[in-house]
Amino acid sequence: MIRNYIKTAYRSLIKNKGFTVLNVLGLSLGLASCLLIILYVADELSYDRYNTKADRIYRVNEDLKLGENNVHYAVCMPPLAKTLKSDFTYVENTVRIKNVGLRHVKKGTTNILENNIAFADPSLFDVFTLPMINGNPASALAEPNSVVINETIAKKYFNSTPGSYRDVVGKTLTFDDNTFYKVTGVIRDLPRQSHFNYDFFISMSTFPDSRSTEWLRSDYNTYVLFKEASDHKKLETALPAFLNKYSGAQMQSQLNMSMAAFEKGGSFFRLNLTPLTDIHLKSNRSGELGPNGTVQYVYIFSAIALFILLIACVNFMNLSTARSSNRAREVGVRKVLGSAKRHLITQFLTESIMVTFAATVIALFSTVALLPAFNQLAGKELSISAQTLTWLIPALLFIVLFVGAMAGSYPAFYLSSFQPIDVLKGKLSAGFKGAGLRSFLVVLQFSISIFLIIGTLVIYNQLNYIQTKNLGYNRNQVLIVQNTFELNNQARVFKQEVKQLPGVINATLTGFLPTSNWKNTSIFFKDAAFDQKKALFPQTWEIDEDYIKTLDMKMALGRNFSSQMLTDSSGIIINESAAKFLGLKDPLNKPLYRSNGGKQDISNSKEYHIIGVVKDFNFSSLRDVISPVVLVLAQNKGALSVRVNTTNLPFLLSQIKDKWKALSPNIQMNFSFMDQDFDASYRAEQRVGRIFIVFTSLAIIIACLGLFGLAAYAAEQRTKEIGIRKILGASITTIAGMLSIDFLKLVFIAILISLPAGWFLMNKWLQDFAYRVNIQWWVLVLAGFTAVLIAFITISFQSIKAALSNPVNSLRSE
Amino acid sequence: MQEAKMIKITDLEKFYRTEEVETIALNKLSIEVKKGEFVAIMGPSGCGKSTLLNILGMLDDPDDGSYMFNGVEVAHYTERKRADLRKHNIGFVFQSFNLIDELTVFENVELPLIYTGVPSAERVKRVEEVLDKMQIMHRRNHYPQQLSGGQQQRVAIARAVVNKPKLILADEPTGNLDSSNGNDVMELLTDLNEQGTTIIMVTHSEHDARYSHRIIRLLDGQTVMENIMI
Ligand SMILES: Nc1ncnc2c1ncn2[C@@H]1O[C@H](COP(=O)(O)OP(=O)(O)OP(=O)(O)O)[C@@H](O)[C@H]1O
Ligand SMILES: [Mg+2]
Repeated sequence: MIRNYIKTAYRSLIKNKGFTVLNVLGLSLGLASCLLIILYVADELSYDRYNTKADRIYRVNEDLKLGENNVHYAVCMPPLAKTLKSDFTYVENTVRIKNVGLRHVKKGTTNILENNIAFADPSLFDVFTLPMINGNPASALAEPNSVVINETIAKKYFNSTPGSYRDVVGKTLTFDDNTFYKVTGVIRDLPRQSHFNYDFFISMSTFPDSRSTEWLRSDYNTYVLFKEASDHKKLETALPAFLNKYSGAQMQSQLNMSMAAFEKGGSFFRLNLTPLTDIHLKSNRSGELGPNGTVQYVYIFSAIALFILLIACVNFMNLSTARSSNRAREVGVRKVLGSAKRHLITQFLTESIMVTFAATVIALFSTVALLPAFNQLAGKELSISAQTLTWLIPALLFIVLFVGAMAGSYPAFYLSSFQPIDVLKGKLSAGFKGAGLRSFLVVLQFSISIFLIIGTLVIYNQLNYIQTKNLGYNRNQVLIVQNTFELNNQARVFKQEVKQLPGVINATLTGFLPTSNWKNTSIFFKDAAFDQKKALFPQTWEIDEDYIKTLDMKMALGRNFSSQMLTDSSGIIINESAAKFLGLKDPLNKPLYRSNGGKQDISNSKEYHIIGVVKDFNFSSLRDVISPVVLVLAQNKGALSVRVNTTNLPFLLSQIKDKWKALSPNIQMNFSFMDQDFDASYRAEQRVGRIFIVFTSLAIIIACLGLFGLAAYAAEQRTKEIGIRKILGASITTIAGMLSIDFLKLVFIAILISLPAGWFLMNKWLQDFAYRVNIQWWVLVLAGFTAVLIAFITISFQSIKAALSNPVNSLRSE
Repeated sequence: MQEAKMIKITDLEKFYRTEEVETIALNKLSIEVKKGEFVAIMGPSGCGKSTLLNILGMLDDPDDGSYMFNGVEVAHYTERKRADLRKHNIGFVFQSFNLIDELTVFENVELPLIYTGVPSAERVKRVEEVLDKMQIMHRRNHYPQQLSGGQQQRVAIARAVVNKPKLILADEPTGNLDSSNGNDVMELLTDLNEQGTTIIMVTHSEHDARYSHRIIRLLDGQTVMENIMI
């Protein structure tokens, strides 16, 4: 029996090749897109789940409110980890990780710049699942000056092979030409799906600060491993008292203030926990160990995947039902001949499941084929492993059955329920043509497509806005020589020499740049009262007198630093936000007291006077409002930013390199361009934009495939009518218009639905940006127009074809 | 009655090429029809009657030969010009009625007027007039499926004449009707002819042919005989 069903289904599908191809094509395209996105989303959701104890690991965070300032830290106080472990029995272990920054590591005679280096407590390998190939995980990070490296590093520095990692253990690595580390272990490379990704772990005990007992500063990423079956909420409720006991005590002794008094002033400082597996998608605090993802994009992409699947399924259903009405006669005959209703149902379902199955197989292969291109697009390294297949295959089988049954059930149950006599008399066709369901589904498809078009346009508008917005400084034509601190005292010499080169307009020596990750906050008070509530918590950047000019920043008030003015070492330039925050009407020459930390009074602070106000410039993401910044004159050697004006950049670059080489022959010069650094910080948005565009196009293509099929079907249904109308004098345009208008009507309804929805949802997305475009009316018009145009082209192809046909032929078939 | 020729075809040829065979549907056929004539075309099945009617109605192109309509050569007219000529001059009646199922009786009859750009008020007037004449006014809001065959054919004739065409082409107009309904249709056509409309009708029925002035008999695409009726 089954064989008979399959055979009949196969013949019927072959007989209607066009429909079958459209059906399979649309569905497999939709499924493939959907699969790619599912892989992407699955990857994003899998972060840190490689840890076997993942569900018991939490990171401790700190929220600080100081006056008007709110700060969310991913880091905590130095002694916290140790104390948590000793004070709470249900805490099995804790570990601290601290980013080391850039180091030069010696290989032979050359120094290679490495930046994935962290300090970690010895418990690292107990808390996290970082399999050690050679070495003893329990003791590897116990001694000072121990380093655990990953396979890549073992290969890179010791030309080691998987069999000979043993020989690496015990060898020495030289950092910065002056510090020696003993390799105590080789671990596997960390999975990419980890919220931190280091190549070197140095024993925490190497770093003297790690033994600090200060409870009023936070700079260690701290993780807690709970004992099995213990409740992390218990710790959360215990934390305030715990904090009061330790930080409160130090506050009392150092600041002469109780925690209660501190909180009475509206300030607070609290600890909370983030589950390890939430860090990648849900945490965006100060002091994260690496760039995290955004859960928003996971939602957006999941929604797109669902949309595309929906559109593809709708197509499938529409084409199947449309085609099945042509088969009403067949059904009638079969019934007259005695076929039972359930046989017919099975017949239709078999057909539909066969199509879905074919589409799924094609989709799976296309996914594999498209994966490299998609990885490029999404900046991922996704792959379909045997492990992926364990959940993918059942999911696909489910899709086959579900989509197949959904799409097949309507024609199956609808058609099989007809009285054969009605069908044979042709009464059916008139009733079936109404097809409210089909119209509804077309509207749905186009609503989604138009919404996606709006999304794409808004994202691109916003990206364009970011690219062209006046940031308060000029990022073009600025070359940044990184890590000039490596030149030590020669850095200033280097700056002077570079400044003299032809083609160089100006240069400034500091690591604090609007496009860099250098951040430094400190506490300022505007008067000697040291009122906590009015404390300013600004970015405090150390710059030189060329900074403002080199970066093309503008002064709103007062003047820039000058090397001529000796008093400028206590001068300070603030940005407009800081001036506003301080509520200063005439800020010039007003004092500012910088707290040295600890006790907050005049004796423990430095007094500055404001010499100028710089116009606000964007330095973090455009997602955030510009926060207060103060600029102080200091000799920071982080980087040399050079404003150039030359047509021969390669030559200038080679001259700068020569200058560097003369001062530091052993160390390579690293450089970048400020505009590229800027773009890099919006890579996530750009990716989303590109992904959006690709999948929007796919969604539209799939929707159009369906529309194409439906238009063909409608024209076919109406051949007789078209013939009659032509004989009665209708012109080709009239006929084509008549056929098109029915579908265009649906597209217009879709526009009415999707424009407000798209406007609303994209506005929500834009809310995340402090600096954003408004959705212009033309975006909505363009989206609607695009949809109409694409739909019109799709439909008119069929309509014109139908209108051109000779009426004699269509009437002959009577 | 004017002696002017409405239709004059000379050496008309029409071939149908399918994969293997080439059918000669019309073989050097020459016919003339005068204004105001009522002509019946008869012949065995497959002899080319419908083909001839389609060419006369400018629905189809001849492959060779000449077709003068009201003294103008139309054999090589473009589709557009033919359509224009057709909608102002020719009405069609088919064996299978060919009414549009989705439109009411009124709307079906109204269609030709829409296509020739008659204003709406005028359309209502003319449609009602012709429906009245065909005695189906009371069915004006019905759909074709709700009518009997005879009623449907009357609607089809109403539609064919509503534009006051000079020529009506009817392909077996009574083929799907019983004899009483068939006679009604023939009476209607005769009335129209008496009011001056030229009619060319294909039929298999000698009885129906008798309503005409002249019978043209076709065999394999050629005229074999012309009987003049009194
Ligand atoms: N589209 C076509 N393709 C191929 N051959 C055709 C086509 N139309 C008509 N013919 C052939 O041309 C010949 C004339 O056909 P036509 O329809 O004119 O016959 P008819 O006289 O109207 O017959 P009937 O009385 O059965 O309606 C027939 O042999 C037919 O098979
Ligand atoms: Mg015929």
